[in-house]
Amino acid sequence: MIKELFTNDYGPDGFRTCSVTGMRIDRTAENFVKVFGLTAVVALVVGGISAILVVLTRWEVVGLLGPADFYNWLSVHAWNLLIFWMVFMEVAILYVGGPMVLGRKLPAPKLAMVGYVLMLGAAIGINWALMTTSAPDHAPVLTSYAPLPSSEWFYLGAIVFILGTVIAALPFFAAIWQEKVENPNRSLPLVAFGAFITAIIAVEALLGGLITYIPTYMWRIGLLEHIDAAWYRQMYWIVGHGSQQINLAAMITVWYFLTHVVGGAEVVSEKVSRSAFILYLFFINMGAAHHLMADPALAASWKVWNTSYAAYGAVLASMIHAFAIPAGLEAGRRKRGAGKSLFGWLWSSPWSNPVFSAVIFSIILFGFMGGITGVLMGQMQLNLAWHNTWATVGHFHATVVLGTTMTFMGLVFFVIQTMFRKELIMAPLAKIQPWFYSGFMALTTLMMMYLGILYGIPRRHASVMNIPGTDFNFAAAEPLFVVFGIAALLAIAGGILFALISVGSLLFGNRLDPSTVFRPTHSWQGDGSPVHLQSMRGTFAFTLIFLAVFVIAYVLNWYLLSRLWEIG
Amino acid sequence: MSSPIHSPQGNWWIAGVSVLEKTWIRISVVWCLLLFASMIVWASYGKQNQAGPTYRVSTTEFMQKVQAFKKAGTQTEDGIIPADEHIYVAAARFSFDGFPVVLQAGKQYQVHMSSYDVQHGLSVRPEHALSKQMSLQLLPGYEWVLPMKFDEPGVYHVVCNEFCGVGHRTMHGSFIVRR
Ligand SMILES: [Cu+2]
Repeated sequence: MIKELFTNDYGPDGFRTCSVTGMRIDRTAENFVKVFGLTAVVALVVGGISAILVVLTRWEVVGLLGPADFYNWLSVHAWNLLIFWMVFMEVAILYVGGPMVLGRKLPAPKLAMVGYVLMLGAAIGINWALMTTSAPDHAPVLTSYAPLPSSEWFYLGAIVFILGTVIAALPFFAAIWQEKVENPNRSLPLVAFGAFITAIIAVEALLGGLITYIPTYMWRIGLLEHIDAAWYRQMYWIVGHGSQQINLAAMITVWYFLTHVVGGAEVVSEKVSRSAFILYLFFINMGAAHHLMADPALAASWKVWNTSYAAYGAVLASMIHAFAIPAGLEAGRRKRGAGKSLFGWLWSSPWSNPVFSAVIFSIILFGFMGGITGVLMGQMQLNLAWHNTWATVGHFHATVVLGTTMTFMGLVFFVIQTMFRKELIMAPLAKIQPWFYSGFMALTTLMMMYLGILYGIPRRHASVMNIPGTDFNFAAAEPLFVVFGIAALLAIAGGILFALISVGSLLFGNRLDPSTVFRPTHSWQGDGSPVHLQSMRGTFAFTLIFLAVFVIAYVLNWYLLSRLWEIG
Repeated sequence: MSSPIHSPQGNWWIAGVSVLEKTWIRISVVWCLLLFASMIVWASYGKQNQAGPTYRVSTTEFMQKVQAFKKAGTQTEDGIIPADEHIYVAAARFSFDGFPVVLQAGKQYQVHMSSYDVQHGLSVRPEHALSKQMSLQLLPGYEWVLPMKFDEPGVYHVVCNEFCGVGHRTMHGSFIVRR
């Protein structure tokens, strides 16, 4: 059965041609994509189980766990979903965006194997360290802020995981290198280019991780006497935020890929989309500074420069992609006569295909909820009202769950059908899974934002309805917690549905010819007119609505801030 | 067809760009500049800016400063009435030192903040309006001085919102602002 998952009709040269994308796929590259992808899904399941414990504790009507267990499981939740699920998927995405899109063999498969083994070992070790943390060690949650000590095995695991990820990325860089040596005058396809930018951002972030965790590990085992909290924060966020920038760049690369393959999108301007990726390369690291806005030891000018002028290079890039990707879908579909009216191209899209609906919901919800809130909390003064409240947690659930996780779920459904070549089981439920999951997750996220901003509910608290030692509590927020608790449990049910469909399809799904589900891309032809001359008025209307919501949220946040007492 | 999984044909740098896409990029550039400008403008004219000097300080030194502050002030049933405009508060696992303090509405104070051990948060809101809240990060080894002026009388509750260990949620302090 396991062996069957890794068989496909490869020719004597080890390649096969995908009947949907037309890509020439190398057996080794495909097998590694499958292994990394499956491991990612396991991390998703572990993170999902811990989500149940976290939700049932924060919803204090249930109040499941005591503080010590809560912080341990919160750490498990963070590391599996923000790191392991994402990074294992991202290595798979690099192997798709590099060797597969370029039709090349995976170079140095032994390095891929070494990288995988190190990553897997580290992930297991970290999970074990997190679940068994006890005094005098403390749960690291995501950030392991020094000088609060965590298990030494946790720091060591983080170092090994980072090293493993760098090694696993090397075959991707080698494939790009080989391609440029053999075809120096041929531009990389956009998806390969996006993957390349993602990989560079990843290496920068991972080096930051080594700079952080190696001295911290040495401090933890007693080789270093002292560790400075401000130094730690600045170094940590190179990898802490950097890892989430990998998620962003990888997600956008997948958006270009899947809107094309499933919806018939085209690239409306190579110049514009590639320039936007280049902006990420230069400016997205500055996004890390928004974690330090409420810190001492940094001057206001440092804060304003790094989160504004510099970081807005990346904000601009995201706003460009926010137009270019839906516009690609609109123009590509209009070209073939799919929908004439303002939004006809959208309504006529393959909404019943969960790969498509997952990607579209991800684009919309990431932009409206994650993107806007990220800019709000990244403004130096507005950050006063966001810092360390539950609204911050809402923000990154909008980016990482509604955005990246939704996209990666769509990608997993795609890989199951086109690479494992298995039919999705429980087809009617598979169709609604993205609707169900994104709907309730969006409500959950919105509640976290409201609770954080309007009630000042702190993050990382086991209880806020009862603060031992004082009469003060946050009971006024109880009604919103009810909505949060129910929505979060339903969202988790949507996540369980995803896991059941994925694993069930791999084990019990029928053999599938994917071209019966996805329209082969060579059939996306149309009238041959230049794509940039197609109407993009539907997309323009959407982006104007987006801007209006952005402006309203922006003004409201400044209004809320202006009501505070005088500070500074 | 211009596909994201094939190498673009010809010189793609000179290929045309849709008028609407160009328009959107221009709007975006202007919006980003406005975002930038608003922080600068607020730094000059706004009343909430977390800007103030930071000094290196050892835990022992800062403990002494807080002790001196408490000694110089007047002890009342509600808390310490500071002797002058300087207030010293510190976070430690799992309580705040220096709180509760009794302040005069409309008077500006210099709030000196630090931590005795690990990273903590200083998250403040008046009891009567939870949505009027803000949070600062406290780091051991750094004394941060921020001016604050409370115009509205009331009890302003302080909680720690940086995870600092299992007892984290029990940390509580207050500013009591009187007319
Ligand atoms: Cu604390």
